[in-house]
Amino acid sequence: MNLGITATQYLEQIKNGSLTVEEFISKTMERINKVETSVHAYISLNNDPISQAKQIDKKLKAKENVGSCLGMPISVKDNICTKGMKTTCASKMLENFVAPYDATVVTKLKSQDVIITGKTNLDEFAMGISTEFSYFGPSRNPWNIDYVPGGSSGGSAVSVSALECIASLGSDTGGSVRNPASFCSIVGLKPTYGLVSRYGLISYANSIEQVGPMARTVEDTAFILNIVSGIDQHDNTTIDKGQVDYTKELDVGVEGKRIGIISEMTGEGVDKQVAAATSKAISKLQTLGAECSEVSLDSVKYSVATYYTIAATEAGSNLARYDNIRYGFDFDVEGYEFNAYISKARKNFGPEVTRRMILGAFVPSAGYVGKYFLKALKVRSKIKSEIEQAFKKFDLLIAPTSPVLPFKIGEKVDDPLSLYLLDINTIVANLSGIPAISVPYEIANGLPIGMQFFANSMQEKTLLQAAYALEKTTSLPGAPI
Amino acid sequence: MVKREEIVHAANLIKIGLDDHTKYIEQIEKILNYFDILDQASAESESFVTQEMSLDKLRDDKHVPYDEKLILQLKNYKGTFVKAPKMI
Repeated sequence: MNLGITATQYLEQIKNGSLTVEEFISKTMERINKVETSVHAYISLNNDPISQAKQIDKKLKAKENVGSCLGMPISVKDNICTKGMKTTCASKMLENFVAPYDATVVTKLKSQDVIITGKTNLDEFAMGISTEFSYFGPSRNPWNIDYVPGGSSGGSAVSVSALECIASLGSDTGGSVRNPASFCSIVGLKPTYGLVSRYGLISYANSIEQVGPMARTVEDTAFILNIVSGIDQHDNTTIDKGQVDYTKELDVGVEGKRIGIISEMTGEGVDKQVAAATSKAISKLQTLGAECSEVSLDSVKYSVATYYTIAATEAGSNLARYDNIRYGFDFDVEGYEFNAYISKARKNFGPEVTRRMILGAFVPSAGYVGKYFLKALKVRSKIKSEIEQAFKKFDLLIAPTSPVLPFKIGEKVDDPLSLYLLDINTIVANLSGIPAISVPYEIANGLPIGMQFFANSMQEKTLLQAAYALEKTTSLPGAPI
Repeated sequence: MVKREEIVHAANLIKIGLDDHTKYIEQIEKILNYFDILDQASAESESFVTQEMSLDKLRDDKHVPYDEKLILQLKNYKGTFVKAPKMI
């Protein structure tokens, strides 16, 4: 059985009876058991997927109504609440937390008869770019297990790339869907801020984070986006998307589309192989009829400092709730004074969360709020204005998803600033709220390179069409694991 | 230039003890020094909007009883009380 089939192929085979849900789920769980010791995509697994599969098969046989996913195996990042399953955020602080409710995106998936394979690994509280900051240990890149899979949705990307599910949900605060998608050679979409509900996504930086779909093809990504997007009464930042179907007209091409090549993301600091792949991708798009020209977004050079100032401030506020009294691990309060107890409990945050908590307390503090936090909010406005101006001239913007190839596990873990700087090509989409997608483009010396398109707010359809056009110019192998 | 005592003070405010974490202080100093790039951004004239929410968009202010299972998440739940460390 080919576990590498797309969502569309899966649905066809289930519908025509050449495949049962039970067969596919059984093989998927076998695959997970086989490769997990090498790649560690999951933190926890669904303990009864086979009975769920049997139930869907039974309904199909009886010609009862079944949701549009027909038992498709999908993994969910472990910072998205799933009722009755652990939701740990890859943190000791939530090691045994069982969510009492489903996130809206999970409710929507379940309503379409998805089978959740399990909860995927991430950098603790989604803070990181390599999945090395997970309390449960790093995930490994299926293209070479000595290398990071990217992050923070590294487990989700690995689970899709290593054929441990058909698609996954990640979350993207500064590139956390797109970066691991690029590093693992899959597709990852960061939707427009507000297109997808954040209800049940454990908060890190509320004003910039979004849940996003990850899959092996652009079409599958569009299929999942159709299900999870739309207004939600539990999240008043959500936007009404209207009657759009993201899977329709994917193949309209890019002829006549004006595509801006972001100078600040394609020049200095970009790895030679990544730069060469970017040039090739642009040439391909021109061959397909797109009009590509350079565009300068001057504020990109301030985006890393802006992003980390805002994200850390919001994180400092959000993570203040982890006092080990309402949520936490086994650590008796007896004999402790209040502050000493919380301080001792918080020593169990990992290094990246600890750094961001301190930064988050410092940058908005009296005496520094003007220098850091308020300044960052102003620069964010400037970035938004530059993006708005750019979309007056262009339909899409393009840059490599990451300026570098995947790096070795442990290579950068002790130099947080060098890791932060690698976010430079992704965070502009979060700061401005626009959608962006990473699509696999090349494999260089056995490691993947992804290309990234940006579109104006709510222009996911244009974004997916461009990604689909570029995807069709490639013929990439699957991960060798 | 940020003083180390100020970083320690900020850490104490959010109850993160740094007694044995010199490494963190050095890393945060380096990150904050990098953040100084914001001074070059010429954004003084920019305004920023804070999100405003009209009262009619807030959820109804009605009592929703806690699910018993939610209470069971508490690690220091004893009988009908939450056991917390002493305040004074």
